[in-house]
Parts: sequence; C-alpha cells; structure tokens
Amino acid sequence: MPEKTVREMSAAQRKHYSLEAKTFRATLLGCILLGIVMLIVGLGLYSYSLTMQYVNHAFYISQYASMSATYGADPLAFAQEVMEKYKSLNAEKRMKTGTAEYRAEFSEFESAKNYTVLINMLSNYTRSEDVSDVYLAMYDEENSAMVYIVDPDEEDRLLPGEWEPVNEKGMHKFLDWNGEGMLYDIEHIDKYGWICTAGTPLRNDKGKICAFLLVDVTIDNVLTGIRTYTLQVTVAMLLIIMIISFLMIRHMKKTLVEPIDEIANAAQEYAKERSAGVKDTNCFASLDIHTGDEVENLSLVMADMEMSLSEYEENLTKITAEKERITTELNLATRIQADMLPNVYPAFPDRSEFDIYATMDPAKEVGGDFYDFFLIDSNHLCMVIADVSGKGIPAALFMMATKIILANNAMMGKSPAQILSDTNAAICSNNREEMFVTVWLGILEISTGKLTAANAGHEYPALKNPGGAFELLKDTHGFVIGGMDGIKYKQYELMLEPGSKIFLYTDGVPEATDAQGNMFEKERMLSALNKDTNAAPEQILKNVHTAIDEFVKSAEQFDDLTMLCMEYKKIEE
Amino acid sequence: MLNISKKIENTKAVLTLEGRLDTVTAPEMEKVIREALPGLTELILDFKKLEYISSAGLRVLLLAQKAMNRQGKMKLCRVNETIKEIFEVTGFSDILTIE
Repeated sequence: MPEKTVREMSAAQRKHYSLEAKTFRATLLGCILLGIVMLIVGLGLYSYSLTMQYVNHAFYISQYASMSATYGADPLAFAQEVMEKYKSLNAEKRMKTGTAEYRAEFSEFESAKNYTVLINMLSNYTRSEDVSDVYLAMYDEENSAMVYIVDPDEEDRLLPGEWEPVNEKGMHKFLDWNGEGMLYDIEHIDKYGWICTAGTPLRNDKGKICAFLLVDVTIDNVLTGIRTYTLQVTVAMLLIIMIISFLMIRHMKKTLVEPIDEIANAAQEYAKERSAGVKDTNCFASLDIHTGDEVENLSLVMADMEMSLSEYEENLTKITAEKERITTELNLATRIQADMLPNVYPAFPDRSEFDIYATMDPAKEVGGDFYDFFLIDSNHLCMVIADVSGKGIPAALFMMATKIILANNAMMGKSPAQILSDTNAAICSNNREEMFVTVWLGILEISTGKLTAANAGHEYPALKNPGGAFELLKDTHGFVIGGMDGIKYKQYELMLEPGSKIFLYTDGVPEATDAQGNMFEKERMLSALNKDTNAAPEQILKNVHTAIDEFVKSAEQFDDLTMLCMEYKKIEE
Repeated sequence: MLNISKKIENTKAVLTLEGRLDTVTAPEMEKVIREALPGLTELILDFKKLEYISSAGLRVLLLAQKAMNRQGKMKLCRVNETIKEIFEVTGFSDILTIE
C-alpha cells in the first residue's frame, strides 16, 4: 500500500498505483509463475519419455543381439573360456589390465573363431542401430569388476579379459533381474557423460548367468533436447504472456478503469455545478455505464444519491423558508406583546404623586408573564403583575386574553377581589387546556395612598415603608385564576405613606438559576432591592437586574423575568 | 431532569418523583398521569425527592386533581418545605390534599 493518498501523488506515482498497472503486474506475475510450473512439469514429462525411448531402444537391441549371438556362435562357451583364464590370474597380474603384458595373456582368444564372428556381429549392431556400444561382458563378483569378453567399440576397444571396476549396487540390479520388464541402469561416467546401459543376461543350461549382452546408449542428447525445449517454451511463453497481459489491460480499461474515471469526472463536474449554484444537476444520471457489475451499480447508486440530494435540498429550502416565516412572525409577535404593555417612560409625565417603572424579559420570543398599570380614573391607579403557567406562544396567547379581561373588569370600577373573581369565571368558562395564571392586582387611591389589593396565587410583593427597607408582604392568598370555577377572592388594604415603594415580580426573579443549578432566591432579591432604597423605581429594577446577571453569569435565562416598582410620593395639596 | 417511578396495584397508583418538575419535564409527567388515569380510584404522589416545581408542573397537578375529583381521590405525601411554600403562595394548598 502506498504511504501517500492519491491526491498527494505525482502523475508517475499515480500511474504506478493505477488499476491498469496493478492488473498488468498481477497478470504478468501470475502468467510467469504458471509458466514456470508448466515448464518444470513439461520438462519432467518430456525428459522421462525421451529417456524411456532410449532405454527401450537399447533394451531391445540387447535382446536381438543376444539372440543373434547365440544363434550365430557360441558366446557362452567363449565367455567361459575367457573367464577361466581371467580367474587363473592372480590379483597382481590382474591389476595390469590394459597393458601389453596383460593382453598377451589373452592373445589366444583374439584369433578364436567365436570371437571373430561375435565382434563382427556386435560391430554391425553398433553401427546400424546408432548406439554407443553393443558388447559382451561378465561380472566378477569378488572384485566388483566388469570383465569384457567381446567389445567391438572402435574408438576405445577393450580386448577379451580386460576389465573395468563397476558400481556394485548398479550391477546387482542386473544379477537379480527376474526377467520382467526391461533391464537397464542409468549412470554418469566422467569419461562418457550420461550413459544408459541396457542388458540381457546369457544363461547356461543350468540357468546360471555366464555373460551379459550389454548396450550402451549415451543420453547426453536428451539434455541437449531439454535445453532446446526450454528455450523454445520460454520464448513461446513470454509471447503468450505479453498477449494475455495486453488483452487483460484492454479488458480492465474498458470494464473498470474507464467507467470509474467517468464516475470520478461526473463527481468533479457535480461539485463544480453545485458550487456554481446549479440545482437540477444531471451529472450522474447522464452516465452511460453498462458493465452489469459493481461499477454499474455504483453509477446507479450515485445517480440515486444525486436525485435524493436535490430533493433534500428542495425540502430544506422549503423548511428554511417556513422557519424564516415563523421567525418573522415571532419577531412581530414579540413587538406586539411588548407594545401591549405600557412601555413609554415616564408613564404619567403630568402626575407627580407617584413614579412607576416596569420591565419584561421573556425567556423565549414571547412570554407568559406580564405587568400592566393604568389609571381607572384620575384618582385610581391600577397595577397588575401576572404569570401564566408554561412559556412561549401558548402562554403568550393566554396572557393576552387575561390581560384584556382584567383591564376591562378594572375599568368598570370593580374592587380587586371582584375583578379577580369575575376574571376567573370568564377564563374558566372555556379553558380545556387547563392553563392558569397567577395574578396580583392592586388599586391605589392616589389622593390618600390607600392601596387595595388581591392576590390569586402570585408571589408575595415586597414593600418598603419610608425610612425602612424592602420586606416581603405576606398577604392573603387565593387560588390561581383559571384553575377552578367559582373561587371567591379576598382583598386587603394598606396605607402607603409618601416615600413608600412597592416591588412586584414574577417567579423568574427568585428562581433565576446559575450554571450549577443554584437559585437566586428571595434573600438575594431583597438585598439587591435594599442596595439603594432611595433610588427611583427605574434604578431599583436595574439594581435587581444587575444582581441577577451577576448571579446567573453565562447560564441561559430559563424563565420569563418581569418586575414592576411603584413609588408613592407626596400628596399634592 | 425528572425520574418518575410508577407502582400500580389494581386501581391504586403510587408515583414517586425525583428531580425537577418544570417546563421541560412537565409534558412527560402529564403523559404518565394521563396513561395511569383510566379506572384509577386512588393516586398518591410521593414528593420526597422532588426539588422544584414550576407553574407548568402545577398545571399538571391541577389537571390530575381535577380528574381524580371525578373518579376518586388524590394525595401528595412527603412534600418538602420549598414546595409546600410554592403551594401556599399559589393557593394550591387549598385544593390539594397534602399529608
């Protein structure tokens, strides 16, 4: 495996690792291995059959020659005579074989009639049958020597009685032959090279082997044949390998490399068209690959992918558009909700008897909290703070209805308890979703400072008397609005001295949570309120807001955050 | 996070709540209660390990209380001080049976 990726490679490296090159190398290697195996097997079979042919030839010559010899002369008697002479010599004399002195001992046999007949006969066989030598010999078991009886070899003729040492093991094969098959032995002799010797034993009346008629064939030409054969086969093999490799490359190119290149080009084209902004691309779908295999499947899968991607994008565009529309609408809803609440300050520029300030920060785009304040008549200021169960759009819709019903009831001049009871009845008449809202509502008689209030399950307000600090006012509580039909609310009265302040809030303030899950709690809220008790309502809300921000730090605002602060000032004479 | 373990014997169900019952977890609680409601005559909510309840959680309690008013009884047990205070402030202590 290459260390670099395809993209990092140079053109030459790419070519080296290409499918084409890989196929070529694999084919070449495979063919060469196969060729070598075939060559070895072929050579084995070839040389075996060729050698056997020579063996066959030699063996039958020995058979014919032995028959002719027995028929035309008396080789057994002649052999016996020579052997008797040979055995009569002592070891020392025998060692002189090949010398003139030794030959002289046997000179009588050269002129014997049998010898003349046999040497002519065997010489004829040698010449006419194109073998190395056809000769008559006897084995001397005691000395492991081959004693020549008649040897017609023209180049290196041995006379009767002369001997050569032989391989005892090879010789036993001849002595122990049972007459089945062919009798032969193959041996390498330095002087002659590879020699095959086939033979036929000659036996006397008692069945005793008296001599062998032996035929020597040189099989060196078998080796020459092998060399020629190898050369021819190798050349033919190389040619065939080249042709096969070439055909394989062409096949691979057509069925694999070219289709893959087409797919790669289509992918490149696809990327180009996409970045150019073309939506209905047709890069993979227009591919025309019919290989019927995995490559064709790949091209089809790519075409499917192309199609589902465009469909996906179409859907995505639709969803994005839808999302944008919702976002726009939510932004508009946020503004409408904010505009529904009094948010221009100073709220009552011509009234110096009181100062009022309020804020609402929804956790989502729209919230379920709200505050409200308005003059019922020139002497009565109505203040509301409320918290709808849940958050987001459902809470916001519920909040809008509650706000309007509360304001309508208040404008009719009812008492706070009556306003809450009537509002509860109106909401409970049609509230299948079981939504509810906690409300604190108070009406201030501006001329006297008398505050009449009722609480429907809302947080305790914080009250500050002149010269004192903010403290929670544990007021009378009724059940939440919208929770149960027919609830009667109780109201309470308290007198505000000039300089008194009242702070109203929703549970988003004490329950503001930091990243570790700790809550802001009412204690921290009160200490933030009391940081500067003389500050104007706007500043007091800012102090609380700052304290909350410092407490929660990076944690996400989880609940709506709504606060209202009213300061009762001196009564104008 | 909120873990609800449910134990139902015939027509009596005990729900043990652990964690926070707020806007995020209230819908799950609502689903569990709505599934358990049919045929129920006694619903007991164990609040021992409940740390916090928001207005969305109160809404689910209100829903369950109203349903149980029609078919049997519901009670809350082992409610801690923080949550008891929330019940008192919101007036829920008037409509719920708290032991």
